[in-house]
Amino acid sequence: MIARDRNWLLIFAVCVVLAVLYPLFADGYQLTVIRDALIFGLFAASLDFFWGRTGILCFGHAAFFGIGGYIMALITLNDAIPFGSLLGIMGAVAGAAFVAAIIGYFLFFGGIRGSYFTIVTLAMGVICQQAAVSWSSVTGGDSGLIGIPPIEFDLGGMHVDLSQDLPSYIFVASIVAVVVLALWSISRGRWGTVLTAIQDNEVRAAALGHNAPLRLLVTFVLSAAIAGLAGALYVCMAGLVAPDLSGLLLSTEVIVWVAVGGRGTLLGPVLGAIAIQRAQQTISSFNPSLWPLLLGCVFVIIVFVLPDGILSIYARLKSLFKGRRRAQ
Amino acid sequence: MDFVVTTLLNALTLISILMLVGLGLAISFGLMNVTNLAHGEFVTVGAFAVYFVQSVGGSFWLGLAAAPIAGAVVGCILEFAIIRHLYSRPVSTVLATWGVSLILQQGLELTFGLGAKPVTPPIEGTFDLFFTVYPAYRLILIAIAMLTLLGVVLLISRTSFGLDIRTVIQNREMAEGVGINTRRTYAIAFTFGAAIAGLAGGLVAPLAIVLPQMGVNYLANAFFVVIVGGVGSIGGLVAGSVFVGGLTSILNYQISPSLAQAIVLLAAIVAVRLRPNGLFNGASR
Repeated sequence: MIARDRNWLLIFAVCVVLAVLYPLFADGYQLTVIRDALIFGLFAASLDFFWGRTGILCFGHAAFFGIGGYIMALITLNDAIPFGSLLGIMGAVAGAAFVAAIIGYFLFFGGIRGSYFTIVTLAMGVICQQAAVSWSSVTGGDSGLIGIPPIEFDLGGMHVDLSQDLPSYIFVASIVAVVVLALWSISRGRWGTVLTAIQDNEVRAAALGHNAPLRLLVTFVLSAAIAGLAGALYVCMAGLVAPDLSGLLLSTEVIVWVAVGGRGTLLGPVLGAIAIQRAQQTISSFNPSLWPLLLGCVFVIIVFVLPDGILSIYARLKSLFKGRRRAQ
Repeated sequence: MDFVVTTLLNALTLISILMLVGLGLAISFGLMNVTNLAHGEFVTVGAFAVYFVQSVGGSFWLGLAAAPIAGAVVGCILEFAIIRHLYSRPVSTVLATWGVSLILQQGLELTFGLGAKPVTPPIEGTFDLFFTVYPAYRLILIAIAMLTLLGVVLLISRTSFGLDIRTVIQNREMAEGVGINTRRTYAIAFTFGAAIAGLAGGLVAPLAIVLPQMGVNYLANAFFVVIVGGVGSIGGLVAGSVFVGGLTSILNYQISPSLAQAIVLLAAIVAVRLRPNGLFNGASR
């Protein structure tokens, strides 16, 4: 376990160093591309924190991303509200957490687990997208809301203005690094151990005195709050919000990112998100309708060939060589 | 009076379709515990079968005969190539079947092109029902759906294959012990469910907007039919369909369809919280 911790921290440190060095070699456009990919990476890490630790798949995680985005947009577009950016981020996190708390209460305390949970959250994503389309007086309907200002606030005498490429990249990259590190330390500590126990056998965990529904609920709410944060960051950087951001396709894409990167590793999903988005841009540039087809194939291939994600290739190779050495 | 009868008949149309789509899910999700997210695509394939047959000059009825066959073929291939390898891995099944659904949707779009496909109903005009006049085709649809459901009930309760299915559902190991080929039974049951969903797609094609992406709406609703109604009985299937279909039809008069859809799904979530084992099996928990 300690060796695995050291490996994880090593990979994390390498990623941080690469992220720090990247602006030296990249121009403004490349910075914004990686910045947006990192935001989706944060979103993927939020799903992995729940799915990877509890084994329960949430098929509507984009709902929280979209809720965060819409709350951020509505607050910052309203000139009457002071400190728009800071309040917007807080509102987005709180709003997503609140919705997750209600849904989670109904499901976890109602004894809903496994595939039932997956189906209900799938419907939750559909509901959010439908609501965003039909409640057009607030959400702007199909076309969404545009003109969302970049993040700008004063904190402790420091003026933060993220309208430029480099500051916004640094801001996003540090948030992603801090959140991923925090989620990792939560999930490797006692909290994560109890979640693993619940995943293995909920009845036994409950018999040992753990309040399983409450643990699952808190984990779910935390995961949704971070998804809301990612949504809020994204709409400020993109300058617009649309119903797609809470839709089924984004929900499925985030699942692919986690599955490709490796479920339960927190870092893998971030890397998976960045890698797949690069692939998506390349493929879509010569045929846009090919991407969903390839996405579908990736789902099937992962299930049969790489059930533990890309990072597992390393572990497999290692065990292969170890096996060889032992055989000699 | 007019209004009430029309609303009732509209509800009945939707309920019939939901029952047919939900039947396949009740078999795969409810009984075999396979979360098949490609089930909506069986409906799409059925609707496209009718469109295809009409577009090459065939009649609607020929298309309607092709629809369940098309659904069965796709279902059979899916079961053989993917689902049978994943019975013990529920989350993997979810991922793989969703991947298949994306592949099918995009495959249909690449084959038939963008945009909604026109399907003309076999009968125009209305039928005088004494209280009100109602489109004749919708009455035929309701009749075919009810007859199909009756046929399925008879198949499961009266034939030896139905007996096999019921045995496998009750206890898989025991069924194998008495010499039933459970793999084959699963494969046939799954294909059968896909065929019925294909038939539903063919029936609904003249009323709906035929698009490669049409399956998702049926998928979410059908899952709620099965969950709300309770797993494992025809009675639950009927109860769930009446709940989801009835509520949707009533709300559609008051508010926009997408908001109605959202409210129905919310109501279904609350119903699942209050009655985790389904409306129909309320007593046992």
